[in-house]
Amino acid sequence: MNILKIFARNLARGPSTIAFPFGEAWTPKKLRGRIKFNLAACTGCRACEQVCAGGAIRFDKTPEGLRFMMWHNTCVFCGLCEFYCPTKAIYQSDDWHMAHAAEHAYEMAIRELLPYISCSQCGGKTLSSAPNPVGVEPPFSAEEIEQQRHLCPACRKKAMAERGVSS
Amino acid sequence: MTTLIQKIADKSRQLAARSPWIYRINAGSCNGCDVECATTACIPRYDVERLGCQYCGSPRHADIVLITGPLTARIKEDVLRVYAEIPDPKVTVAVGICPISGGVFRESYAVHAPLGQFIPIDINVPGCPPRPQAIIEGVAQAIAIWRERL
Repeated sequence: MNILKIFARNLARGPSTIAFPFGEAWTPKKLRGRIKFNLAACTGCRACEQVCAGGAIRFDKTPEGLRFMMWHNTCVFCGLCEFYCPTKAIYQSDDWHMAHAAEHAYEMAIRELLPYISCSQCGGKTLSSAPNPVGVEPPFSAEEIEQQRHLCPACRKKAMAERGVSS
Repeated sequence: MTTLIQKIADKSRQLAARSPWIYRINAGSCNGCDVECATTACIPRYDVERLGCQYCGSPRHADIVLITGPLTARIKEDVLRVYAEIPDPKVTVAVGICPISGGVFRESYAVHAPLGQFIPIDINVPGCPPRPQAIIEGVAQAIAIWRERL
């Protein structure tokens, strides 16, 4: 809804108080709200950590794998992480119902783990991350992404070369 | 006589519960959250006063405190002094991410964020700044807590 629509509606009906909190509040579709994270699509490139203005995103190397942490209470909702994410694994929803009791402050976080697995080709230790789709022609199919998740970087490179893609 | 006093106390508590007064402390905020706080009260589209609460000018009248800003080193003593002037029971709402965690100013030498280490906070409203509706949601939660404490 743009400003002209609101203006026209207000001319016709008169402005009114929105019903919230006794009713539903209208939310713009493009509202930059609560961050969502889709672990299955994460490539583990850490670009979101690099660009995060509030320092809300953190990756830690642990013995189990690469741990992703994001705390909503430091997030400035700038949308840089979504912009730079190559697979849209991190994105913003239009959820703004984030007021919470202070004792739940540290539950307002996303904690996920990209686990270490052994490569299905060579057996080496590698992260189970999604492949980066940038510049891949023709684009990855769903099966290919699933295959690549189980490969180490060297084997991925080999598989890509066999597929006929430079780099 | 004691029952009469008890009755008056109960009645006044009942009446007071309908109309908490809101006080706003700027702890070194960039003014973004302050504008949103003003918006919730001054713009009829949002109108926080439907919940029975009103902004007041003096900390001594306040029931619910909205605190914005990361508590800068320069303003810290004044914020704590003004906060101490607010009579109990009071409910504290941290508006914006700065008082909750420091936000983008976190780990700066000039701010004492998070505010929670100096002042007990009851409700967090994250956002940079939060939407007016989100602030209203926070105030509604604060009113619920305040009624329990009264």
